[in-house]
Amino acid sequence: MVNTIDQIINVFDEQKIRKNEALISCSGVNVFYSDKQALFDVNLDIKEKEVTSLIGPSGCGKSTFLRCINRMNDVIETCSIEGLIKINGQDIYDPKIDVVELRAKIGMVFQKPNPFPKSVYENVAYGPRLHGMFINKSDMDKKVEESLVRAGLWNEVKDRLQEPGTSLSGGQQQRLCIARAIAVDPEIILMDEPCSSLDPIATAKIEELIDELKVNYTITIVTHSMQQAARVSQKTAFFHLGHLIEVGETENIFRNPVNKQTEAYVTGRYG
Amino acid sequence: MSDHIVSSFDEELNEITDGLINMGALVLAALKSVEEILKNNDHNLAQKIIDNDLQINDLGQSIEIKAFNTLASRQPMAFDLRLVFSAVKMSLYLERCGDMCKGISKRILKGDLTEADSPNTIESLVILTNRVYENLSLVLDDYAARTSEKSLEVWSSDSEIDSIYSDILMEILNNIKSKPEAIEALVPLFFIARYLERVGDQATNIAEVTHFIVTGEVLTDEKEIQIENETTF
Repeated sequence: MVNTIDQIINVFDEQKIRKNEALISCSGVNVFYSDKQALFDVNLDIKEKEVTSLIGPSGCGKSTFLRCINRMNDVIETCSIEGLIKINGQDIYDPKIDVVELRAKIGMVFQKPNPFPKSVYENVAYGPRLHGMFINKSDMDKKVEESLVRAGLWNEVKDRLQEPGTSLSGGQQQRLCIARAIAVDPEIILMDEPCSSLDPIATAKIEELIDELKVNYTITIVTHSMQQAARVSQKTAFFHLGHLIEVGETENIFRNPVNKQTEAYVTGRYG
Repeated sequence: MSDHIVSSFDEELNEITDGLINMGALVLAALKSVEEILKNNDHNLAQKIIDNDLQINDLGQSIEIKAFNTLASRQPMAFDLRLVFSAVKMSLYLERCGDMCKGISKRILKGDLTEADSPNTIESLVILTNRVYENLSLVLDDYAARTSEKSLEVWSSDSEIDSIYSDILMEILNNIKSKPEAIEALVPLFFIARYLERVGDQATNIAEVTHFIVTGEVLTDEKEIQIENETTF
């Protein structure tokens, strides 16, 4: 069937609209720990297949915000959340949402590498097995290999798959955690200061990996390193005292931020 | 703007800024001397400009090293990044201005200005020197005060200097036509005008850099049109 020009243009426009739509859309987000408010009316859209950095001084609410995206704050009894967070247009705090399924779609990498006390292979296979993704061993083998390749670790561990994950170096452990996160085919990867305990070489490898992963995943990263935010992300959001102060193209945030508070923070004039 | 948490960072930035202001002051002094030489054909002063140019070059080199070290050790951002990045460009522009003044002095030392027998042209060159001095002085004031209004003024008025320069060239050409025997004495005047016009260009470049440091905005041809439209009544 031959498409008319109008049909082609419509498809193109739809693609364009979809491309501009946010994958994660947050509006009016307030977070409380008991009666202490940690986030104030945060409105932030995160685009698909982009890296967004969250920066700000300690205690500004950036990690709290990150944990709202995969509902990790649910496990904190005193924590309550107001506002709307949508992923793919779906309210993730809708009572009908299956939180386990939601978290399978959102991988998380923490500050300190935290491999399970299991073999390298089992660390990666654990998630898919838990979610009943592969019954056949050869399919699981393929998934483990694919995940380790994507995490840039395969060549270093392909002969050590049965060794404990904890026997790897710090940087390798962090990449193993990334492989574990992507093994369940998430759409989003959240990273909470993933390089803060790594040396510059291991950090460079993680940054290189982030660059490669953004082709397939939407990544949101909390970082204290302004230079890292400038290197790896397309968008940067600056938080201060629970408020989202400024969000924009990373280049603009570090070259010429609009807000004086952002400028003071990124230039090191702010505590 | 408030101080950095690390006070030594402030000291480094101040050293770079102060260095450029000092470099600018030396260039302005050289331009003042050019004016004196044009008026009095003072060869001693011309030699002094040539000797002092080494000082300008040394200062430029030390600013570049400081900026390089600051980039490596502090990884500056936003305003600081613009300031340090621009310092390298600005020191180069000022160093070129110094070279132009040196070039003028060398031309003057090679001959005798009075042999050109062109008091009107000399007078026009003095006017051009003053105009260039004024522009450079304005942009350096802006740089020191971290403002950009005067820089914008200079940036959009460079064509006035170009116009004085063109008039001087016509004057020299007419003189060459009417006094072909004085061509050897007249040609250096052409070079002096050319050097001064290029100092004017460097002042415009410094205006662009200052505007960028202060606002983060890169001046473009579109911006020039916008300014022209805003200032045309």
